[in-house]
Amino acid sequence: METVKSIGIDAGSTTLKIVGVNEEGKILFSIVEDADPKVEEQTEHILNKLKENYDMESSKIVATGYGSNLIKADKKVTEITCHAKGIYEYFKTGGTAVDIGGQDNKVILISKNGKVIDFIMNDKCASGTGRFLENTAWRLKIPMEKMAELALNSDGEVKISSTCAVFAESEVISHLSRGQKLEHVIKGLHRAMVKRITSMIYTVGFNPPLMLSGGVAKNKAVVKMLEEELGEKPRIPENPQIMGAFGAALIGLSQ
Amino acid sequence: MLHVKIPTRKEVIEEEKSKGKRIAAVYPIHYPRELFRVFNIQPVEVWGPPKTDTKKANAHLQSYICSVVQSGLSFYLEGYLDIVDLIVVPHSCDSLQGLGSIFKDFIKPKQELVTIYLPREKNKENVEFLANELKRIYKQLSQLCGFEPDDEKLMEEIKTEEKIDKLVFKFYKSRENLPLSSREFYTILRSREYLPPDKFKSILEYALLHASKGKLKKTGIVLSGLLPEPMDILDVIDDMDAFVAIDDMACCMRRVYGEGHSSDPFERIAERIVNGPPDPTKGNSFDERFEFIKSLADLTSAKGVIFYNVKFCEPEYFYHPILKEKLSKAQIRSLIIENDINEPLPQQTITRIKAFIEMIRESS
Ligand SMILES: Nc1ncnc2c1ncn2[C@@H]1O[C@H](COP(=O)(O)OP(=O)(O)OP(=O)(O)O)[C@@H](O)[C@H]1O
Ligand code: SF4
Ligand SMILES: [Mg+2]
Repeated sequence: METVKSIGIDAGSTTLKIVGVNEEGKILFSIVEDADPKVEEQTEHILNKLKENYDMESSKIVATGYGSNLIKADKKVTEITCHAKGIYEYFKTGGTAVDIGGQDNKVILISKNGKVIDFIMNDKCASGTGRFLENTAWRLKIPMEKMAELALNSDGEVKISSTCAVFAESEVISHLSRGQKLEHVIKGLHRAMVKRITSMIYTVGFNPPLMLSGGVAKNKAVVKMLEEELGEKPRIPENPQIMGAFGAALIGLSQ
Repeated sequence: MLHVKIPTRKEVIEEEKSKGKRIAAVYPIHYPRELFRVFNIQPVEVWGPPKTDTKKANAHLQSYICSVVQSGLSFYLEGYLDIVDLIVVPHSCDSLQGLGSIFKDFIKPKQELVTIYLPREKNKENVEFLANELKRIYKQLSQLCGFEPDDEKLMEEIKTEEKIDKLVFKFYKSRENLPLSSREFYTILRSREYLPPDKFKSILEYALLHASKGKLKKTGIVLSGLLPEPMDILDVIDDMDAFVAIDDMACCMRRVYGEGHSSDPFERIAERIVNGPPDPTKGNSFDERFEFIKSLADLTSAKGVIFYNVKFCEPEYFYHPILKEKLSKAQIRSLIIENDINEPLPQQTITRIKAFIEMIRESS
């Protein structure tokens, strides 16, 4: 049985991520599930199952994300610090980290030695987050993966002017009812979101390389458009969604 | 933890009224406390108050007017100020100037309405202008009250305020030695907004008795902005094992004026206000504001500045980008957040404050 030295739990607004690392910070397991309203029970259930295969007797637990208040942990750290840590240790370089989650975007400037220099986060508004795309996907009954594919392969683009998640959804419907092609509208929707993120990046000050984390980094259309807008190819970890939990686990190692 | 009994605004109003004093409801920010006192008028400031239902004010105000004015007007319209004898509206910013006009032209309150024109920038002409403005208010108050206190009496009140300002500064300087949470510290400090000077003084002196040699081993923050409302913001900071070491807030430090020099009482009050700490509503330069905030950080162990802005507070916004840049060049990290004083702090804002404290702690 392998010994898990530290466990990072990222209870996000949309998903729950759990990562276990060994003494060297190597990832032993990672779990991603849709977040249950009773995230504390969900977490306990997952951890109990993991105990069948891992020695977690002396594991440190560090929690992050909106639900972290509900989770029993040795330490609680904000998502900003955790994503910065995860990204920095993964790529071993400073730069600009962008975490696009279900409800928040965070742009974090990381120094050469891995410290957070500055950050910005969307405030009170779902504009430019995963929810921005999800609302429309849900309304049109198109799976998220398909949305990205439609945008990627579209030969045209309709401008969506609203940055508001609620208004954008109705704008999409009105374009469709006026006979615009679905993929053109979906591509425009992705563009509106990416422009919002790009403007956040410029607000903090863009310092390459650009490194992505969070579930939306799996959206290939978003990644491609970010490259178009910034003129810089984003670096993406193998599983960007777990970077916050990975960072949390690493913080636990130094406890 | 310190147990200090601080009377509420309501208790103070009732007690002072029973002693025959008049009560003035005073809107933010700068005004001559001494001038009202010498007429036996107790100023009780109206900063919002927070958590007011603002629907009554909405009919009079544009939606982009800050929540301090929205709440302040609603508070009046709901009848909570029926008990006061005067309403004082300093022309601190466009929104407050608008509030003054709404009172004067639309509401026409039964109470005496006093408006105060405040000049911008520090210079001799502005001191003279304000001194004349204060003389005009003196006349208005003497007509209302039916007597004319002499210069000597007014000077006495000025000296009392000057002493209290000094004591408040001492209270700030002892902050790190006081066993108080940020909420407790600011509850004490802000009781000056409605307490008579002797009562406020004795509360400060009592609190200062508890200053210890040991310093708080916490991360210090400079809090800048209008006022710490909702007060949960102070708890969020304290929960991170940090504390507000000093502030650059309109309701607090920006009104700790220095001593005046003139032997003419009106000029002396004017000097105090005009030459007081830099304030966005006084149009001080970027450099003055930066130097002041930096000096606050230097005076304490504060590691970063949180600009806590009331949404739509125009004068504050104006300074942020340049102040942030100047502070960053001086290796002082800063964070800008905004909220309505009527709204609970959103989770995102809490996360940002926490992440900011983690950041400055990591890098220090
Ligand atoms: N393969 C995918 N393609 C497109 N989008 C995806 C994919 N996988 C996940 N997402 C999006 O990622 C988002 C969830 O990301 P993540 O798990 O990082 O959020 P979270 O951490 O719960 O939220 P937050 O950080 O805002 O609290 C959802 O909006 C989801 O639609
Ligand atoms: S209504 Fe629109 S702009 Fe407002 S918070 Fe929601 S998504 Fe954002
Ligand atoms: Mg997240």
